[in-house]
Amino acid sequence: MKKNKLKLAIVALLGLAFSIPQLHAVKIGVLHSLSGTMAISETSLKDVVMMAVKEINEAGGVLGEKVEAVVVDPASDWPLFAEKAKELITEEKVAVTFGCWTSVSRKSCLPVFEEENALLFYPVQYEGEEQSLNVFYTAASPNQQLVPAAKYMAEEMGCKKFYLLGTDYVFPRTANKVLKAYLKAQGVPDENVMEEYTPFHHQDYQTIVSKVKEFAASGDACILSTINGDSNVPFYKEFANQGLTSDDCPIMAFSVSEDELRAMDVPPLVGHLAAWNYFQSVKSPENAAFVKAFKKFCVESGLPGGAKRVTCDPIEAAYFGVYVWKAAVEKCGSFDVDKVRKAVYGLEFDAPGGKKSMHPTNQHTLKPVYIGEILKNGQFKIVYASDGLVSPDSYSSYLWPDGDFPKPTGGPNGDGSL
Amino acid sequence: MSHLIPSPFFWKVFPLLNNFCSLLIFLGLIPVSFAQDKKVPVETSIETNTQPNIDLLSQLPILASGDDELITEAITKLAKTGDTRLESFFELYRQGSVYNWPTEDGEIRIVVNLETVMDDDFNEFAPLLEPLTGKPFLVDGKQAKPDLLDLEDISPGRKLRSLVNSSKFLIRLFSPDYETRISGVKKCGDPPFMTEAMTSLQDISNDKEEEEKIRWTASESIALIGFGQKSEDFEGLTSRMDALEKLSLLNSLRALARIDGFEKDVEALENSEKINSKQSATLYKRISKVKKILESHKSSVELAGNLFRGLSYGSVLILIALGLAITFGLMGVINMAHGELVMIGAYATYEVQMYFGHSPENSVNEYYFFALPIAFIASAAVGLLMEKFVVRHLYNRPLESLLATWGVSLLLIQLVRLRYGDNIGVNAPTWARGGYEISQDVVLPFARLYLLALSAACVAFIYFIIRKTRKGMLIRATMQNRDMASSLGVRTRNVDRFTFALGSGIAGVAGYGWTIVGGVTPDMGTKLFIVDSFLVVVAGGVGELAGVLCSGLGIGVITKLIEPLEFGGFIIGPVWGKVILLALIVAFIQYKPAGLFAPKGRLGDKK
Repeated sequence: MKKNKLKLAIVALLGLAFSIPQLHAVKIGVLHSLSGTMAISETSLKDVVMMAVKEINEAGGVLGEKVEAVVVDPASDWPLFAEKAKELITEEKVAVTFGCWTSVSRKSCLPVFEEENALLFYPVQYEGEEQSLNVFYTAASPNQQLVPAAKYMAEEMGCKKFYLLGTDYVFPRTANKVLKAYLKAQGVPDENVMEEYTPFHHQDYQTIVSKVKEFAASGDACILSTINGDSNVPFYKEFANQGLTSDDCPIMAFSVSEDELRAMDVPPLVGHLAAWNYFQSVKSPENAAFVKAFKKFCVESGLPGGAKRVTCDPIEAAYFGVYVWKAAVEKCGSFDVDKVRKAVYGLEFDAPGGKKSMHPTNQHTLKPVYIGEILKNGQFKIVYASDGLVSPDSYSSYLWPDGDFPKPTGGPNGDGSL
Repeated sequence: MSHLIPSPFFWKVFPLLNNFCSLLIFLGLIPVSFAQDKKVPVETSIETNTQPNIDLLSQLPILASGDDELITEAITKLAKTGDTRLESFFELYRQGSVYNWPTEDGEIRIVVNLETVMDDDFNEFAPLLEPLTGKPFLVDGKQAKPDLLDLEDISPGRKLRSLVNSSKFLIRLFSPDYETRISGVKKCGDPPFMTEAMTSLQDISNDKEEEEKIRWTASESIALIGFGQKSEDFEGLTSRMDALEKLSLLNSLRALARIDGFEKDVEALENSEKINSKQSATLYKRISKVKKILESHKSSVELAGNLFRGLSYGSVLILIALGLAITFGLMGVINMAHGELVMIGAYATYEVQMYFGHSPENSVNEYYFFALPIAFIASAAVGLLMEKFVVRHLYNRPLESLLATWGVSLLLIQLVRLRYGDNIGVNAPTWARGGYEISQDVVLPFARLYLLALSAACVAFIYFIIRKTRKGMLIRATMQNRDMASSLGVRTRNVDRFTFALGSGIAGVAGYGWTIVGGVTPDMGTKLFIVDSFLVVVAGGVGELAGVLCSGLGIGVITKLIEPLEFGGFIIGPVWGKVILLALIVAFIQYKPAGLFAPKGRLGDKK
């Protein structure tokens, strides 16, 4: 009897000893390409998610638990995104995943998230036409970027001809569908709209730029560019080398931000435009602190580029995505995916670029729209800002004029119902 | 005949090539001297323009009045002064960088603020600049730095903004800088067709001291303004038609882009019965005549342009395949790390740029001159190490060398990524911007001309080494019959080392040249170069320098001729262009398995 008690005490003590010092850590997944064609853009997103994690841990974690980021590299290889997502969810048992840049990568891993009923925060503007209950889209949908930009070019810049130029994959193709529908609704005749695609990694833009030159000879044309990744550098270089400037034919870009400009010769690009929901040049104390913190983080972590690093729209969206998740977890007091999802709906929060909120039903984010002109120093001068937050459309009203949108997909029951 | 350059074809091509090369350098130099000449007729205009200074300053405060009519009037007045300092002011005003900073008495002070600074408590301050000169705005001898909240935003609304923009182009007509002036002259002829620019444009087109190109553009713009007017009756249409005919004499492609709109206007007036069918018939006849002239000009411009683009693309292909022609073609090493050697050359160029502190704002163009040998040496050194530690153990074992060099390429990519990250920019030297207009509307970008010249020079360099030097003789001897050469006292190990380093170094030069037209990323080698360079070498015939030359240029020109083709609305474009090209090459290899220049005789048998 005595011996038994002693044994019990020892077991109890041992149990206590093991349980007390072991602070629980909640794992989150980071699914961004760190190599391959998209690494030029995605590496910064991984960096800023790590920064948010560090900040959260220094402030005491989430629900008293430390956050541990599990970083995997899907290497710009679209099928690998699905594999790595599966690995994060089933082996690492992450509570949530932050990741993807290109739409094709998101489409590739979406079935995994829906099958496992896991959560993905997707931080990049995209073509819309999607609404999965397993994804929160923290960047722009088409009506928060594409349409206002085309409108700006037509009304403010007086453009009558539009050259839609993109990389050949799902985002540019769908984005151009939306843009064409919009332009048609505005009465732009078909012959004034050109559409052309280049493969990923395309480097020789001589022919296309000379075509643009012909197209823009009338002096009232512009380019709406959805060129993505490392093709942007040779495109803008060739554009300038053939003697074209933003006066001859302004380029409105949807995938060129401050971060991409770091790799370019900026002076010949002055005056070209980009449409985003955030610029580093947004004026607010919160944003100044964010920019400073990001630079400091890059220097302290010894990341390439150091203090020269800049923030941009996807970086902001990736950053506040982590905080949205944290706020939702704290609101519902649980890491459970279904509870967190419900807590995210309608959540209001402060992002570096200002107050924003999550849409109460359609998984997207209410954001302001900005249009910026490239300045000599590689930053953007904001020349247009929307009146307050713009509510997101998951499905574009230009492609679904009757308002009869498809139902959401995924979710706890796998059929789009909550 | 030697193994490397045996074909008689090369002997014929080479002198031609040499001439072509010097021609290119010649062409490249002319525009430089042009650009310097252009700055001459400057000073007179500045002197006359500084006089209405007092008037300028008195107009500025009106911008803060908030009354759109008054502001419109003021801007029009300002634009008429032709003061060149207003160009940047208008640009800043349009962007919304111009503010009113009222004094304590409420007096208007127009100032410029570009960027704000923030102190540690996140209070934002705006360092101010003078609106016209761009110098710091001084208060008590120090640059004023008020709180951002004290500045009153006076940025123009949409209507005003387009007025400000066109006023900016009016001002440009008087700019001392050639590029700025010609852009102003050109822009005045674009919508919204600035009739108020007419007199100035006429002055420019009649000014005998003005540059020929600017005078030409001015007369084009004058005619375009006439052509762009609105017309309500036959008379209006006829005067537009007259302008259009003038434009056809100028071979104006800008007019061609607007003819369709004009035809629609004629049709609309005909439908509303403002003109009769006879009148419209005469107009249509005249239009189709003009169209014919302009279309034929356009197609000749396109042909010339496509040929040049093909040559230039071909020259890039040759440049990146040349190194491989040595390491793979001559030595038989399947070098999968060839693309990475190109990449090393590009990053060496970046390092030299950093060392010289070249940036777009502060250009130190000499860096590009020094980067050439350094890129060569860097890649050659890496090649030497590769040869010593990996390749030399694998001669005559092609499959193993394929895997081993691929491993090396992964290693190099990751090393570079760790050191530089994924996003760096090599800023091309400033002279590489823009191009030389060889005939009307055919612009040859300087960067492309330089690459053509560089590519030709590299071919000449390799040719010289292999054919004209003792070292080259030893290389040829070793590659043809290693045992025989060795028994005659040639140190074949040294020759191997030297040859591999030479091929690697040339790959480095390709990377150096690449930075002027393309981007630099750690995986550029695998993604962009390796497939293309093997394609060129294999299609040309392994072991043949002349083959590389012909297949590189051939692939380049064919690609650029296919790409712009259109079949009833279906544009071939780069995606299908590549597919068609690969299909062509597959078919070609079926027909000639050993490539364009197959090794003949006993050498051919050995392979």
